[in-house]
Amino acid sequence: MSKYILRRALGLIPTMFIIVTICFFFIRLAPGGPFSSEKKIDPQILKNIEAKYHLDEPLVVQYVRYLGNVVRGDLGPSYKYKDYDVNFYIGKSLPKSLLLGSLALFFAVIMGMGAGMLSSLRQNTWVDYLSMSVAVIGISVPLFVIGPVFMYIFAIKLDILPTSGWIDEQGLKALIIPVFSLSLAYFATVARLSRASFLEALRSDYVRTARAKGLKASVIMFKHVLKGASLPVVSYLGPAFSGIITGSIVIEQIFRIPGLGRHFVQSAFNRDYTMIMGTVIVYSLILVLMNFLVDVIYGYLDPRISYK
Amino acid sequence: MNNDAILKVDGLKTYFNTDDGIVKAVDGVSFELRKGETLGIVGESGSGKSVTNLSLMKLIPSPPGKIMEGTAILDGKIDILKMNEAQMRELRGNKIAMIFQDPMTSLNPFLRISTQMIETVILHKKMSKKDALKKAIEMLDLVGIPNPEKRVFDYPHQFSGGMRQRVMIAMALSCDPEILIADEPTSALDVTIQAQILELIQALSKRLGTAVIMITHDLGVVAGMCDYVVVMYAGRLVERGTNDEIFDDPKHPYTQGLIKSVPRLDKPDVGRLFSIEGQPPNVIDLPECCPFHPRCNKAMDKCRTTTPAVTILENNREVRCFLYEGEK
Amino acid sequence: MANSITNKTVKNESVVLNEFDQPVKGVSLWQDAWKRLKKNKMAMFGLLMIIFYALISLSAPLLPIYSYKQQVLGHQFLPPSTRPAGELMYERQDYLLRAMANKEGRELNAVEIERLSDLRDSITTEKKILLSGEEILVHERVYIFGTDSLGRDVLARIIYGGQVSILIGLVGALASVFIGVVLGALSGYIGGTFDSLMMRFVDIMYSLPYMLLVIIFMAVFGRAIGNLFFALAIVSWLTVARVVRGQIMSLKNSEYVEAARSSGAGTARIVFLHLIPNTAGVIIVYTTLRVPSFIMLEAFLSFLGLGVQAPFASWGVLIQDGVYAMTTYSWLLWFPATAMTLFLFSMNFLGDGLRDALDPQSKNKL
Repeated sequence: MSKYILRRALGLIPTMFIIVTICFFFIRLAPGGPFSSEKKIDPQILKNIEAKYHLDEPLVVQYVRYLGNVVRGDLGPSYKYKDYDVNFYIGKSLPKSLLLGSLALFFAVIMGMGAGMLSSLRQNTWVDYLSMSVAVIGISVPLFVIGPVFMYIFAIKLDILPTSGWIDEQGLKALIIPVFSLSLAYFATVARLSRASFLEALRSDYVRTARAKGLKASVIMFKHVLKGASLPVVSYLGPAFSGIITGSIVIEQIFRIPGLGRHFVQSAFNRDYTMIMGTVIVYSLILVLMNFLVDVIYGYLDPRISYK
Repeated sequence: MNNDAILKVDGLKTYFNTDDGIVKAVDGVSFELRKGETLGIVGESGSGKSVTNLSLMKLIPSPPGKIMEGTAILDGKIDILKMNEAQMRELRGNKIAMIFQDPMTSLNPFLRISTQMIETVILHKKMSKKDALKKAIEMLDLVGIPNPEKRVFDYPHQFSGGMRQRVMIAMALSCDPEILIADEPTSALDVTIQAQILELIQALSKRLGTAVIMITHDLGVVAGMCDYVVVMYAGRLVERGTNDEIFDDPKHPYTQGLIKSVPRLDKPDVGRLFSIEGQPPNVIDLPECCPFHPRCNKAMDKCRTTTPAVTILENNREVRCFLYEGEK
Repeated sequence: MANSITNKTVKNESVVLNEFDQPVKGVSLWQDAWKRLKKNKMAMFGLLMIIFYALISLSAPLLPIYSYKQQVLGHQFLPPSTRPAGELMYERQDYLLRAMANKEGRELNAVEIERLSDLRDSITTEKKILLSGEEILVHERVYIFGTDSLGRDVLARIIYGGQVSILIGLVGALASVFIGVVLGALSGYIGGTFDSLMMRFVDIMYSLPYMLLVIIFMAVFGRAIGNLFFALAIVSWLTVARVVRGQIMSLKNSEYVEAARSSGAGTARIVFLHLIPNTAGVIIVYTTLRVPSFIMLEAFLSFLGLGVQAPFASWGVLIQDGVYAMTTYSWLLWFPATAMTLFLFSMNFLGDGLRDALDPQSKNKL
């Protein structure tokens, strides 16, 4: 098992390498550079700036230099915000996005599996219909609708929650609407997924065996059903987290949260190469680690997976 | 009737409410089981033999399934069908145990054999975890699992099909049940393994004094190990009698057909094997008739319009056919 | 003896009965699926809604609605109403002036009264030449969904924005399904090195944070609609390719394909004439479920300012406008949000219904 984990962990390195490479050249395919869009600069000054950031060197040299820096953990200076480097901005904004994203994922999984379990136990009753209707709403209503709607109701009309800002100014209240909005779609998918897999497990032969042994319904649910039924949810965690990352970009925009997503969008507009690269690397690393974690959990839950 | 009957089922009816109509999966089945005896229930798939036994365990998925009427008296005292869920849990796995057709899916693939075996004993026999584990190893040894002290900690996928069925049997017998219901225990197994498993069930039930209800579509199985035989067709009992009676002198045309369609190695070659033409009927909204009449080579006009009642012949033998009406 | 009368098969109109007078069911996949779909009320509701949206979008130029890009001076932020714009403008002006006067603790003065009566005059007489060259009394217009910050009709913008959104959804879904089906089918049918290279590529693409790449792409290469389609299409065929490949692999060794091969049919013929039609169910379901996700993707990009550009609109653009104005002009959010959500709902319901109908035992919950 530990050998398997180690091998999988080593496998992350080439993946990250491919992502960094694709992204590096992809950005530089575009016409114009980070300093060309600004108002006319004296060509000499432009040259000096480009020399300072090594933009005058051949692309391959830039690439190798950048790769070397990244391996040492240095994401370089920002091309737009001259006072600090990319590491500083990411260090400041990443914890916020991480908190937002992991809370959203946590709620989505816990509440979603709860709803799915209840629905499957009370199939075709009002409990089932209610939670599945909420789930369909969650899937169909886009994030950028649900967020503003919650904001309108709870912040503008009822005035019980703040419209924007972060914990440092607003306290924990600031998290409620963003986390809830962000998690709704994933709550919905987890609820539907887990309802289906709970139903399948409840109808399975091994649950029939467990019932024929005289076990209580609660024991059957938590000992015999839960493990197998959570597998589809576990394998959904990867895509869910990648969705939550994209979603958090929108949420940070709507609720003016100074997280990684806002830096990312701004840097994309500004063609701030190093900043774009930095955010993409951090996002990809999170995603790749998440997928790795999912594989490990899956292997732990399902004894049939062999580690060869 | 016989007082030593440990289970006496009378007029059991189990219906399923589906979109297409009411499926009368079991429509009036009666039989009895005596201590230490092996009863065979034979029929094609869909004849209601499995549903009959799931009804006795009250394991019918409900809805859509529902036990409509009937009694099932255990030990001459209590009616199982009137028990509540808590009483049923007390019964299941303890007094009546069950093994199922497909050992590949009947064991929980996510839990160790040890976990699955000891939970029954801890629940019903109030044993400590340590004693329960000892008992589990003992049972695995009994059913012929080599190296049980180690293998008890394996997961189901680490066993072959036949071995898993042995585990199922060990698990079912670990609380010394009075009745073991075996629902097609060998249908999913290789032919060579089938005989071993049947022998194992037979030997263990004799040794532990367990009565067995053997559900099967295979007359060969019944001939080899059952004392008493019930033949079912389209949710109804068509014939019942002792093993010798059924095989030496089958009364109902369906039973006759079934026996003729079994290849016999002990009799001289009689040419082509007999087969019953046609398909069993769909049991939704079945009109008043003998459900077997379209496939019957002795069908009369009466069979198409009237449902035959059970005729009781000598030696308490039953057959549901107009041919024997009025005989005694 | 057991024969002639009982073993009849009664053909009574189209109902076939067996010997117990029980109807015998037909077995056509599509008929069966349609029957199941008809039973599913939510899916049928979805289908009707989609037909409704399609009719509205297709007949938009013929409908009696205003232009989606015509800006009318003075008509900014008019609330939804069935009364003409002039009345609303007058009321608003009247209210504002009175509020100001009240604050100062006085009645309306002469200048203000004159301004109001001037406004009344201009409302009844002012004409405007439309983009179409037609001349109309502009303040007679009625905006049942209100107007936006530039005095444009919200209803017209929702309908024309819907056209754009639905088109993007359809084209995106069809393009991704087309690419996915062709590559997936070839990969599954040819197998070998081609297949393993293909799947390796798909794996790598999967591990990329592709939405981030799409955002970078749109920001860096410009926001033309062509770029949008390109960006969405190149990342979204992966799942289709995988699913179709799996289906083809399992069908590949079936007897009818053997039969086609033994009668000398070529690879392309077998794939396109035999294999792909047999995966039609999965493909239809997938396409249906893909449309709403494309609409969401486009709206997502529009929301970040990376989508469709003015004067064109899409639901995403309208919602973004609405979000920034919702504190005071909340209708700008409600109407487009409702229009879009209702459509997404309908597509999801229909997609779910189709999946249940076409593939009742389905385990691939895409």
